[in-house]
Amino acid sequence: MTENSMPAPLVKMRGITKRFGGVTALSNVDLDAYAGEVLAIVGDNGAGKSTLIKILTGVYQPTEGDIFLDGEKVDFSSHADAITRGIDAVYQTLALADHLDPPANMFLGNELTRSVLGVTILDNKRMRSETERVLMERLGVTLKSLDAPTESLSGGQRQAVAIARAVYHEGLRVLVMDEPTAALGPQETARTLKLIQTLKDQGLAVILISHSLDDVFEVSDRVHVQRRGQCVGTVRTADSNTQEVLGLIVGAEEAA
Amino acid sequence: MTTETAPRPLTERLEPYIAIIGPMVMILAILIFMGVAEPARYFRTSNMNLILLDAALYMPMAMAMTFVITQRGIDLSIGSIAALSGIMMAFLIKQYGFSVYVAVPIAIMLGATMGLINGLVITRLNVPDLIGTLAMDLVYRGFALVLAKGLVLARFPDFLTDMGRGRIPGFVPIPVLIGIATMIAGYFLLTRTYFGRYTVAIGSSPEAAELTGISVNRHKVFAYVLCGACAALAGVMLTGKLNAIQATSAPYFNLHVIAAVVVGGTSLFGGRASMLGSFAGVLLLSMMINALVTLRIEFFWQSVASGVVIVSAVALYAWMQKKDRDGAGSWMASLQTPDGQKMLRFSAAIIGVLIALLAIGGLTAVDPTPSG
Repeated sequence: MTENSMPAPLVKMRGITKRFGGVTALSNVDLDAYAGEVLAIVGDNGAGKSTLIKILTGVYQPTEGDIFLDGEKVDFSSHADAITRGIDAVYQTLALADHLDPPANMFLGNELTRSVLGVTILDNKRMRSETERVLMERLGVTLKSLDAPTESLSGGQRQAVAIARAVYHEGLRVLVMDEPTAALGPQETARTLKLIQTLKDQGLAVILISHSLDDVFEVSDRVHVQRRGQCVGTVRTADSNTQEVLGLIVGAEEAA
Repeated sequence: MTTETAPRPLTERLEPYIAIIGPMVMILAILIFMGVAEPARYFRTSNMNLILLDAALYMPMAMAMTFVITQRGIDLSIGSIAALSGIMMAFLIKQYGFSVYVAVPIAIMLGATMGLINGLVITRLNVPDLIGTLAMDLVYRGFALVLAKGLVLARFPDFLTDMGRGRIPGFVPIPVLIGIATMIAGYFLLTRTYFGRYTVAIGSSPEAAELTGISVNRHKVFAYVLCGACAALAGVMLTGKLNAIQATSAPYFNLHVIAAVVVGGTSLFGGRASMLGSFAGVLLLSMMINALVTLRIEFFWQSVASGVVIVSAVALYAWMQKKDRDGAGSWMASLQTPDGQKMLRFSAAIIGVLIALLAIGGLTAVDPTPSG
């Protein structure tokens, strides 16, 4: 994405407020995400990062505020709604069933079937070949074995399977990733960041939540900083540095 | 599979198949042992038939229980469901003149209904599986006793006795065919249908299943309904086999079936299912019990043997699951640790007190007076 000729944002969240009973988790937050861009959301624990993306992915509904997707106002009543509109998330826990093999996991809840004598049965063979294809074409990953249980894969490979599940949906436009590198070693982290880069190059809007500023600065285009339920600033990664972002996160400028 | 990769340790390569190999090895051990101890009587065709007839009764239930256990559930009520649906069917036939061809499907649907009640108690009323089915076991058994009042209902139409002990001439008994058919259907359900796939997913990670949009509660209810229907089918087969049914029939079905499934390698912690293992587990238990009978060992030892087999099978799987076996090589080594020492002293104290009490009792003993 170039600096000044930015097209209209793909996702526009305006004046988002969320209250849980008496607690205000988010107050008046704006967020823009562009296609082919990685937007990082950073902030301390309890700053409202998770609530914000849960509103975007339809898990929570905002108390106030509007979400626009491609200029059109949307109202998600459930996560499934958001998925149909092309917004999906990869959770920190990855939501994988460890005893199932990667193809079964990739199509979990959305299995491919075929009909034999009028009976609908799972098409394991096609799910297997599709998994191989999606992993290769979209993510450039090949797994050693598609038949072993998912628990035998490395952290990065598990991540790839979870991402593949999200990108298999052809209409996917926005992918939210919650702490994808939190449980990974340096090598696996590098691989995951490369995956994020790949997805970005394919024109997806990637929203990355992370505690690791190193990862954020390596992969993101812009950084959205949350603090105490408010957005305290959005900086262009190229024009900023760890120090500035850290200052925003802890509110050093305010104190000074 | 074995040729492509660099040489890995044998145990690691065997691990995916351990669920099958475990019971197979034990079956082989029984065969070899009986081949030495009592070959003439054990390997008679009539005895093989007995073993198969016994195993056939448990096959439908083991199939269904595999699903329930894979979903991290347990069903303790199958024995009572078998007895109650058997008795209700018997009343329909004997007292109300129902055709046997209608009464048998009714019995199976009654079992399915009882399974549905189990499932709803667990998912809607949020009663844990163990307590819920244990309580419903009492309820169903109670109803069976209320209905039958100690009566033994006997002498049923041929169709029923055929289901329980009939045989196709020169071929295997009909109940064995029914049992094997249900196991094959179970294998198909497990590997080729939404229900089977979601069963493994729910057992593997309920949270992941929920997040991917699977209705966890609905599929739990499905498993219990299947279990109830299969228990009723077993009740029908049992009625046919004995040509009689009473309220106290099928007393320990639940533990026998759970044992067979667990011995077969299906994990009690969920997510790991093996239909072939359950089949082998059922065969193993029937062969073992038959072996005890053939060796003329007192009936009550069967209970001891079943318990020992279950504990050793589960312990074996637990050990196989443990990835880090360094230092666990010598079992004695764990006694050297401070905690091991404490446990050793504690065990010694308990046994010591017991021996002391026995000694005191023995020293102060007087001539016994028989009680009545």
